[in-house]
Amino acid sequence: MLPCAHRIGDPKLATQKELSDFLAQVERRAFKQAVFAVHDDAAALDIVQDAMLKLAEKYSARPASEFPMLFQRILQNAIRDHFRRQKVRGTYSTQLSNLGSADDDESDPLDTLDVEDLGNVPESPAARFEQAEVMAFIEDAVKALPDRQREAFLLRYWEELDVSETAKVMGCSEGSVKTHCSRATHALAKALRAKGITL
Amino acid sequence: MNEKDFAAKLKPWLERSAAQVGELEATRLKAARLRALDAYREPVSILGLATVNGGALENARYTLLQRGLMILPLLALVAALALQSIDTDVDLGEIDAQLLSQELPPDAYIDQEFRSWLGKSSR
Repeated sequence: MLPCAHRIGDPKLATQKELSDFLAQVERRAFKQAVFAVHDDAAALDIVQDAMLKLAEKYSARPASEFPMLFQRILQNAIRDHFRRQKVRGTYSTQLSNLGSADDDESDPLDTLDVEDLGNVPESPAARFEQAEVMAFIEDAVKALPDRQREAFLLRYWEELDVSETAKVMGCSEGSVKTHCSRATHALAKALRAKGITL
Repeated sequence: MNEKDFAAKLKPWLERSAAQVGELEATRLKAARLRALDAYREPVSILGLATVNGGALENARYTLLQRGLMILPLLALVAALALQSIDTDVDLGEIDAQLLSQELPPDAYIDQEFRSWLGKSSR
């Protein structure tokens, strides 16, 4: 039986309102994920729109609890399709494989990075400016991660899928997910430390 | 600090980044969501056995039992038509037999022309 078909007796199928609520909840995160991947706002919007449409058209007969994983799978496939189309056109997006400084110190950046609780938006303009700069740097660092590392990191720690779900979405083993996540985390920590950012 | 702690500290920054999406992008995202909801079709139940979303019927695959149950009405129709056809043949045969054996006037058998007609028609 196809994923779009469900037997009677399965968990309660999603209503239109549940679908609407789910899409409203994830649309901005999905957009940012697509922007991190394709580095182009317009293309990212198209990708998210296609993903939403596909979810509504093909998977309405599914329980709402399955939406997060289904949507992420669709979204990641849409991002991959975007890159395939780009490749056909002969344009390649540049991906940075290394972050931060080129020093080869063996210390674990996660051991030394001091991360403070982020709390609320700062009141003073100077603090707000500083926060905006940090956020821009974090966005750039996430964008600069290799595709698979970024995908694994965002699915695991932003979308909060478990290792098994992330592996299914990415079409790889759970071991690969853990490896990608670890490398992504270390790369981000290293980049922040190299920039002298203490969050 | 381990991987999970670091990710947990970074997550609010990502959330804040998503929350600060521009107005134009937010409007387009909302429009995309509404378009997707327009494409939503109420799930359709097939013979009470499975539920699929509208538009997926042509792609649905079913187990052997489900397929058998789905073609059951068609088989019943074919069987009914076949039975009806057999009944019709029997009825016509009975009428012919009555015509030839019972309702034929005895004089017909004496009639030479009838005999010759009967011979021709039987050939």
